[in-house]
Amino acid sequence: MEFKDYYKTLGVSRDASAEEIKKAFRRLARKYHPDVSKVADAEQKMKEVNEAYTVLSDPEKRAAYDQLGHGYQAGREFRPPPNWDTDFEFSGRGFSGTQASDFSDFFSELFGGMGGSAHQAHKHTRGEDHHAKIMLDLEDTYRGASRRLTLRIPRVDNNGQIKLAEHIINVRIPKGVHEGQVIRLAGQGGPGMVGTPAGDLFLEVHFNPHARYRVEKKDVYAALPVTPWEAALGATVTLPVPDGQVEVRIPEGSQTGRKLRLKDRGIPAATPGDLYLVLEVVLPPATTPKAKEIYQGMARELAFDPRKKMGV
Amino acid sequence: MSQEISGISLEDALLNLDELAASCNVSREWVIEHVQCGVLLENADSDPTLWVFGSQSLIRARRILALEKDFDSNPELAGLVADLLEEIEYLRKSSSTKV
Repeated sequence: MEFKDYYKTLGVSRDASAEEIKKAFRRLARKYHPDVSKVADAEQKMKEVNEAYTVLSDPEKRAAYDQLGHGYQAGREFRPPPNWDTDFEFSGRGFSGTQASDFSDFFSELFGGMGGSAHQAHKHTRGEDHHAKIMLDLEDTYRGASRRLTLRIPRVDNNGQIKLAEHIINVRIPKGVHEGQVIRLAGQGGPGMVGTPAGDLFLEVHFNPHARYRVEKKDVYAALPVTPWEAALGATVTLPVPDGQVEVRIPEGSQTGRKLRLKDRGIPAATPGDLYLVLEVVLPPATTPKAKEIYQGMARELAFDPRKKMGV
Repeated sequence: MSQEISGISLEDALLNLDELAASCNVSREWVIEHVQCGVLLENADSDPTLWVFGSQSLIRARRILALEKDFDSNPELAGLVADLLEEIEYLRKSSSTKV
C-alpha cells in the first residue's frame, strides 16, 4: 500500500489552518469538477481531493494522520502499526459507505474503523443506497442488455473495520432506457445493519458515442446519404437502423437537411421515440471523363444558380 | 454464476419523498426545503406526500447536494449551477455529431 500525502494533494503546508485547507479544497473542487473540467483525469483527481479533504478537514482524523504519517513520503510503501488508532477517540463523524467505495485502500486501512457504517447522517432502517454510472450502446436499449458489474462494497469485518470487498452482479437492463435515466436495483446497495434490509443500487444510464446515431431524449437521429438523382427524382432506399433495417421512400425534390420521420422507431420506451433520418445529398466524384461530361452537360442544360437570391 | 438481477427504470416506479431522501442520504426536511425554494421538482403540489421524483430529479438532487457540500453554497446558487450544467450537457450532446 502506498502512503498518500494528503497535504500535497491539496497543495497546502503541514501547518495549514482549517480555513486554508477549506480554501484549497474549494479551489481544487472547482478545478476538477467532473461536469466542467477540461483536465483529462478530472474525476480521479476529484476523488483524491475529496479523500484528502475528508481527512484533513476533520481535526481528529488529521491529528491521527499527522502522527502516523510522520516521516513518510508519498508513494512509499506503507503499513500502519497494529492498533495505531487506539490513542484516538473518534466521535463517529466519519464518512459514509458511499464515500468509502470511492476512496483508496490507504484510506480504508487507516480510517476504516473510525465510525464508518456506524455513522449515518440520518437514522436508517436499512442499508445505504449506492449510485453508479453505466455506459451502454444505443443498440442495447433496443434489445435490452445484460451487464456484469464489479462493485466495491464496504463491509464491516469481525474487528469492526471497514474493508472494501469486490462484489460481482449480473444486471438486466430493461429495453427502452434513455440517456440520463436511472435504473434501480433493489437490495444491491450497502448492507443493512443486523436485521435490516440492504439499500438499493441506482445506475445512471449514459450512451457511448455512436458513429451513426445521435440520441435526443427518446428520439434518435441518423444521417441518410443519398445521390443527387435519388433526392431529385425520389427513390426507395434500404438502410440499417438500430433494430434492423428499413425501406424508406425519399420524396421527389428533396434537399440536404430534409428530415424524414419514422414514427415510433426511436427508443422503444412505453411511449416510444421517433427515428429521424436527415438527408445528405452526396455528389459523385468527377474523376473520369464520362463523369466530367455529365456535370458539364448539367451545367449547360439546367441553368441552375443556387446563389441567385444573394443579389450578385 | 450469480443470478441476473433485473433493473427497473425510475420512470416505471417513481420515488416518493422518503425514498429520494434515503437515496441521497439526506433528511426529508432537506428535500422539502429544496422543493419549496423551487430548485427541485418544478410546479410541485403543496402536499409533500404527493410528490414523486424521477431520474432527472434524483440526478439533480445529488448534484445540488454535492455543490452545497463542496462550496458551502446556498440552495438557490446550487440550483442555478445545476441549471447551467444541465444546459451545457444538452448543448454538448446536440453539437457532438453533425447529424
